[in-house]
Amino acid sequence: MRPARRHLLTAAVAAAVLSLAACGSGATPAAAPSSTPAGTRAADTTLVLYNAQHEEVGKAWADAFTAKTGVKVDIRKGSDFDLANQIIAEGAASPADVFITENSPAMSLVSSRGLFAPVDAATKAQVPAQYSSSKGDWVGVAARSTVFVYNSATLTEAQLPKSIMDLAKPEWKDRFGISPSGADFQAIVSAVYLTQGDAAGAAWLQGIKANAKIYRGNSTIMKAANAGEVPGGVIYHYYWYGDQADGGANSKATKLEFFGNQDPGAFLSVSGGGVLASSKHGAQAQQFLAFMTGAEGQKILSDGKALEYSVGAGVAPNKALKPLAELQAPTVDINALNGPKIVAEMQRVGLL
Amino acid sequence: MTRAVAGAGIRRPPLRHPLRLAAALAVAALTLLPLGYVVAGVVAAGPEGVVALVWRPRVGELLRNTVTLVLLGTTACVVLGTGAAWLVERTSLPGRALWTGLMAAPLAVPAFVNSVGWYALFPGFDGLDAAVAVTTLSYFPLVYLPVAAVLRGIDPAFEELGRSLGLGPWRVVARVVLPQLRPALLGGALLVGLHLLAEFGALQSLRFDTFTTAIYDQFQSTFDGAGATMLAGVLVLLCLLLLAGEAGLAGRARISRVGSGVARRAAPHRLGAATLPAVIALSALAVAALGVPLVSLASWLVTSTSTAFPLAELAGTAATSLGLGALGALATCLLALPVAWLAVRCRGRLAILVERATYIGNSLPGIVVALALITVGIRVVPALYQSTAMLVAAYAVLFMPRAMVSLRAALAQIPPELDDVGRSLGVGPAGVLARVSVPLIARGIGAGGALVFLAVVTELTSTLLLAPIGTETLATRFWSESSELHYGAAAPSALLMIVLSAPAAWLLTRRAAR
Amino acid sequence: MTGLDVRGLRRSYGDVPVLQGLDLTVPAGALTAVVGPSGCGKTTLLRLVAGFDRPGAGTVTIDGRAVTGPGVLVAPERRRIGYVTQDGTLFPHLTVARNITFGLPRRERRARHRVAELLELVGLDPAHADRRPDELSGGQQQRVALARALAPRPALVLLDEPFSSLDTELRASTRRAVVDALAAAGTTTVLVTHDQAEALSLAGRVAVMRDGIVVQEGPPAELYRRPGDRGVAAFLGEIVELPARLVEPGSRNGATVLVRPEQLTLTAGGDAGMIAEVLDVAFYGPYAEVRARTTEGTVVRARCPGHLVPEPGARVGISVTGAVL
Repeated sequence: MRPARRHLLTAAVAAAVLSLAACGSGATPAAAPSSTPAGTRAADTTLVLYNAQHEEVGKAWADAFTAKTGVKVDIRKGSDFDLANQIIAEGAASPADVFITENSPAMSLVSSRGLFAPVDAATKAQVPAQYSSSKGDWVGVAARSTVFVYNSATLTEAQLPKSIMDLAKPEWKDRFGISPSGADFQAIVSAVYLTQGDAAGAAWLQGIKANAKIYRGNSTIMKAANAGEVPGGVIYHYYWYGDQADGGANSKATKLEFFGNQDPGAFLSVSGGGVLASSKHGAQAQQFLAFMTGAEGQKILSDGKALEYSVGAGVAPNKALKPLAELQAPTVDINALNGPKIVAEMQRVGLL
Repeated sequence: MTRAVAGAGIRRPPLRHPLRLAAALAVAALTLLPLGYVVAGVVAAGPEGVVALVWRPRVGELLRNTVTLVLLGTTACVVLGTGAAWLVERTSLPGRALWTGLMAAPLAVPAFVNSVGWYALFPGFDGLDAAVAVTTLSYFPLVYLPVAAVLRGIDPAFEELGRSLGLGPWRVVARVVLPQLRPALLGGALLVGLHLLAEFGALQSLRFDTFTTAIYDQFQSTFDGAGATMLAGVLVLLCLLLLAGEAGLAGRARISRVGSGVARRAAPHRLGAATLPAVIALSALAVAALGVPLVSLASWLVTSTSTAFPLAELAGTAATSLGLGALGALATCLLALPVAWLAVRCRGRLAILVERATYIGNSLPGIVVALALITVGIRVVPALYQSTAMLVAAYAVLFMPRAMVSLRAALAQIPPELDDVGRSLGVGPAGVLARVSVPLIARGIGAGGALVFLAVVTELTSTLLLAPIGTETLATRFWSESSELHYGAAAPSALLMIVLSAPAAWLLTRRAAR
Repeated sequence: MTGLDVRGLRRSYGDVPVLQGLDLTVPAGALTAVVGPSGCGKTTLLRLVAGFDRPGAGTVTIDGRAVTGPGVLVAPERRRIGYVTQDGTLFPHLTVARNITFGLPRRERRARHRVAELLELVGLDPAHADRRPDELSGGQQQRVALARALAPRPALVLLDEPFSSLDTELRASTRRAVVDALAAAGTTTVLVTHDQAEALSLAGRVAVMRDGIVVQEGPPAELYRRPGDRGVAAFLGEIVELPARLVEPGSRNGATVLVRPEQLTLTAGGDAGMIAEVLDVAFYGPYAEVRARTTEGTVVRARCPGHLVPEPGARVGISVTGAVL
């Protein structure tokens, strides 16, 4: 090896080690501001948050919590089921203390394995019962409404589906998009089965499989509708509001239709939060969950850019959103959403 | 010729190298962890469960999609890669140096950035056509680079000999040139095929489902060990088919040494009137593979309101990506070395099995590899869980073939007598490895390392699940920003990924230039 | 003293036996050539002596130290051997000097004078020290390979057809340089070759191998003059079969004797022991090779000096000098 090359190699390895050391030590630059007084008991604790919620939502809560209590929070990000699968694979050895998601099926999954600790009573009291686990091992931290996004040049209001059930009819063939993978659509299908019964649900799902154009991700459906590639699609409300706030590049040509009227398509999905039974910092973890669902945490959510509905401590949602009361969401027991059964049904019709 | 005669009579019985054999077996065991995870899932599902989950129309649809994509994509890569290599290396095409760079540069653009870029500019562009087109544009350099290297090294005497024996120019290509290209072509095609089996990022926005995207969907929908592992089982079978096919086609071809000690360069074929069409064709290729994603990124930067350049953050993230890429490349090459050595020097049934075993991880989705490592890692080596070491191990499992292909080719170029001579001079096996073999395959290590580096920089799933907590790479940053539709904020990460990857791609062209 | 002692060496590849109980004794400090046709197991023998391979049975002793035998298998790097291959096998990434010092302990590798000494020993200009192997001719590469093999002062040097890839002119000068260097170093040497002229001209002793064993061993002249059987005779040089009659009392049987072509002398007249008609002549300059048919119908080859070449068709007399084989 010529000397020059050897130096290059040495330099590359050194750079690798240095930069990793740097990222290791600076793992939580924002969560550990240098002004935090050291030496207090709380500051010695570091919580691990498995954050499947939007990165900025989880981070905003963690930063505010650290600022208030001095308890540091390390964040691992991922999608709902990435992290739920990881928690289950980790079992009792999981390094996670707190887990928050975008949707409830992943919470139900972890709950079904008995990996959550009971939520403090005071925390449960902050969140309306319909947004929380009936087992009392997780609570709602935010909510999102199912909507129909459509290209206003392609569809007139009169042509819109009156109910999400209409989309299974032949006239909608290839005229709307769905994103069947992921927790979100699974929750919507569950709501249809629960409100309409298994037989009607199955027939509807068959029709959806026949009619829908398949996309991966709500945002791609909205982009497709915006581009006129497909007339409309089933998504969650905040993708549209978020893009409008970001300049509307992917939603300028679209409008939202809220199904309302207790239609299964008006289903309100719940993002959950829970404390892991294996947590070694149970008290602080419960404190963090209480913070997120309390007035301060919910205010951070409703003031932020995420544009999800706040659900706890009576904090009003962001003013840009259609008010919760006007959504006329159907009454669905989110604890009754049966993930495994719905996945089997979706596999049966070939959506998965 | 006396050399060939003398050599033919001597068989090289493998000296017993218990240490190297043990090292190779340990590496194979590591790379087989995901397979074990899949098999355990299949066994747990029981025969009826397997039938119920595998024997359904959806699996047939996925099988058709996956096989079509692999066949079409690999063929397209072979045709484009070989054609471009021939134009650049063996014709009078002007601007060879420029084209050499441009043809390797697509490796620096992550496949998912490429596909998001295409989809952003051409929203209706989806389905099979789009999937084949975009993956081909991203992966054809994996064929171009090895083929260009061989084309440059081929002794023109063989072609002249072919002509003198009465073969026309096309038959010379078919009977003289192609056989010499075969190992390089097959190696490149195998890499492309494995990548297409495991491709996720590029396909998700193009509305084309394969086993890998379906496996992700399963994992995104539930803790569906059974459903996902069943699909992964079928995927592994496809991978084994691919490996067996490559081994069958390659036959003994890989044993031949190509182009060592060529003194003379081939005279370029004169393109004449075909020069302009050739330049246009290569330009179109470069625009499609590089121009489209770059224009998309630029338009995001300009039009999105979320555009921001938080320099300190970006620099830190880029340093993490760089560090992980370098460590991943180093570790993967180190682990690949004993296996490649075994495969080249002690070629036997065991050696072939061990070498092939290391390819399987590359065909499995990152999430399967990550979950297998989580399941085993947290129980066996809890201290290493979510440490950099474990993440690097996952990279090694995922990207071993990239290093293996390069190392194997490099080792095959070294006459085994060099080892013997080293030993006779009183230097032990480890000394010979360090003082003779490793310096001689430095270029191969560099190439393999560069390929691994490129893959690590864009890796997402395993990084999310296994990285030390709080680790942010350019890929995870791009993922979180773009999944929240903050394309303006995502674009700088994508650009930085391309900037970080460019030197590695350049390094690969340097190797091809030899 | 014995430099190398090989006893009962056996080696098969699958069902094919290559060495079948080979015995060989090489005296210390001299050059012994092992010669035999292609495929007779010469290279296998060298690889077993070097320790690159393990035998099915047999022992190898170097300088009185058992290195291969029942329960003994000394690694190649601990055998104190030097090994020179057909094409030198220089390390392509190292300069001449670093090739030569490859086998030396780390602190001795910087000693330039040792490199110069060794280069001089093999007849190369010390200025070659900083060249790279691809800047050397084939003969120079072989000399460097020998210098490299000699550098660690081995107990035994093994040369595996070291001159066969060189062209004629280089071969002669390289042979001379190598043999001189080995003689100067006084190292026990085994030269494996299929070229009998090379073996006979370079070695102090020659061992002839056939079918995996040594069939005869001894000083070159003795082997050439007194081969043990017809095969050895034919392998070491050309032979001429002549009909003969035993002249011992009481015997009248006819027999065939073997002689070397150079033992036949052609005479212009027809008064010698045998009369023959010249069939054709191959002229080589200093000498010519003549094919002739004797009156008894036997075709013989003979050599004659270049200035005394008969014409085809001429009648010549043939006489035999020296003892038959």
